[in-house]
Amino acid sequence: MAAFFDLYGFLCIMILQQALLGYSLYFPLMAGQLSLASIGFYSLGGYVAAIMGTHPAFEAWRATLGWLMIPLEWLAALLLSVVLAVAVGLPALRLRGIYLALATIAFVQVLNVVVLNMPIAGGAVGIFGIPQAFESRFAYIWFFGPLLLLTILFTLRLERSAAGRNFMAVREDELAAGAMGVRTTANKVLAFVIGCALAGVVGAMSAPFLNTWNARQGTFDAGVACLAYVLIGGSRSKWGPLLGAALLVALPEVLRPLKDSRLILNGMVLVLACVYMPRGIAGLFAGRRA
Amino acid sequence: MTLAWFLQNLLNGLSMGSVYAIFALGYTLVFSILGIINFAHGAVFTLGAYLTYLLSVGQFGINGLLAGWQLPFTLPFPLALLAGAGLSGLAGMAVERLAFKPLRARQADALLALVSSLGVALILVNLIQYLFGAEIYSYPSDVLGSLPPAFIFKVGGKPVAVRTVQIVLFVVSLVMLAALAWFIHGTKAGKALRATAENQDTASLLGINVDAFILGTFFVSGLLGGLSGTLIGVSFGLSGPYFGVAYGLKALAVIVLGGLGSIPGAVLGGLVIGLGEAFLPPDLSSYKEAVAYALLFVILLVRPQGLLGGTTEQKV
Repeated sequence: MAAFFDLYGFLCIMILQQALLGYSLYFPLMAGQLSLASIGFYSLGGYVAAIMGTHPAFEAWRATLGWLMIPLEWLAALLLSVVLAVAVGLPALRLRGIYLALATIAFVQVLNVVVLNMPIAGGAVGIFGIPQAFESRFAYIWFFGPLLLLTILFTLRLERSAAGRNFMAVREDELAAGAMGVRTTANKVLAFVIGCALAGVVGAMSAPFLNTWNARQGTFDAGVACLAYVLIGGSRSKWGPLLGAALLVALPEVLRPLKDSRLILNGMVLVLACVYMPRGIAGLFAGRRA
Repeated sequence: MTLAWFLQNLLNGLSMGSVYAIFALGYTLVFSILGIINFAHGAVFTLGAYLTYLLSVGQFGINGLLAGWQLPFTLPFPLALLAGAGLSGLAGMAVERLAFKPLRARQADALLALVSSLGVALILVNLIQYLFGAEIYSYPSDVLGSLPPAFIFKVGGKPVAVRTVQIVLFVVSLVMLAALAWFIHGTKAGKALRATAENQDTASLLGINVDAFILGTFFVSGLLGGLSGTLIGVSFGLSGPYFGVAYGLKALAVIVLGGLGSIPGAVLGGLVIGLGEAFLPPDLSSYKEAVAYALLFVILLVRPQGLLGGTTEQKV
């Protein structure tokens, strides 16, 4: 068992972390909205934690607060994410269709340019030596594990709440939902903001885990990967993001003997999964419904 | 703020903007027929640049599977440009057959087409990296034959320089635009294409082979993608297999700015973004890559249907 964790412990934590980013896209998808913003808010949250953890201006805070600084970083990342998510989501979500996806792509690109030009974010080099919360890397399971558990519980409750039912009504038929008195724009924005807030907190947790933080954390490709977790895992199932992340994070490890050609196979897996598993892995277990 | 300064930026902006325009048109054509954004378009852009490079220079350097391998012939640049664009068109057709047709046949969720086209993009980009390696390639300086590298003329005593490449960019883009406009509005096939975009079922009842027109649209889209990739590659070099991704995303901002599905809109959007980047004040030049996306947010706030996009009433 110990040997297994030595070898695969890091991979297990990566799966939890990536699954959480998958969930951050699952919420807008509950309301039928395609977002690619998670990776941007993840990057943003990481920068908040990295700056609060290393910048001299926060030295006095760190000295007085001690370990309490870490939850404070999460809170700061959460609040900043909520504010920015409303600013990005509101103009795009007044419209139907693909606009949110395009606006969130734009957000991720703008964020990267801004971060590269901000001295406080360390430019292209990024921020180094972010203080560790634990001695062992595997101990970070105490960050991501409970958060994932909370997220799944929250999803379970959300599905049965008025807000969750509104989301699903908007997903099934936006016009009909509006005609029934569901405030469609407000609900779409809410679903989007919940996801972005989660991504921000995951970023703030990941900065100490990865020890360094730079603009490469927020690339478009990584954002696409988050979306792939949800859609390959099953966008209509609360287990979808977890299943998808487990498969797609482990896949490159399994394919490692193939070296350079494994990324080509990764692409093929995406295409084949879309064609042959349109309801994702979770859809395979859900049986054939009409 | 001299006249020379203005002319210089205008010329720079127009030549880049015209390439953005024909590249973005590749998205627009597919969107107007299928209502879907083809996320493999940026990868086809890269592919076109690499294929033209291979055909005109004959070999790729040091890394990758094909290192040291030599093409038995090389083409003069204009022929290589056409051949590279044609092959990219074929790649566009392959994208349709791999990523879009199987999903259409199964009437799958439109979101999945996005992921499957991204999957094909991943395959293409990594195939390029596998075969040709990840290093930077630049075209040799004599790629345009005996033409001088730049023309310099004086306006009000100040020099204005136009690189020959910029003229090539602008002229090739204009020729493509004219050809496309003639095809869509001047031929019977173009009429059938417009009918297919309007309503596929009706078009099919009228005896139009919808499937063939979709395939043809992907060919033209891929051709435009490969052509613009080559033009950018000649101008700035090929900075690795991923260099199309950034342009692919920027062209998305172009089509939103002009209006999704609008052909004149894509042209206008491309020119606006090209000029916007060119006229950015020098002290903000590090924000150049953000101009297109900033304009996208502005347009979403003030005119969400885009500059030339029409609003469509949704019927229940």
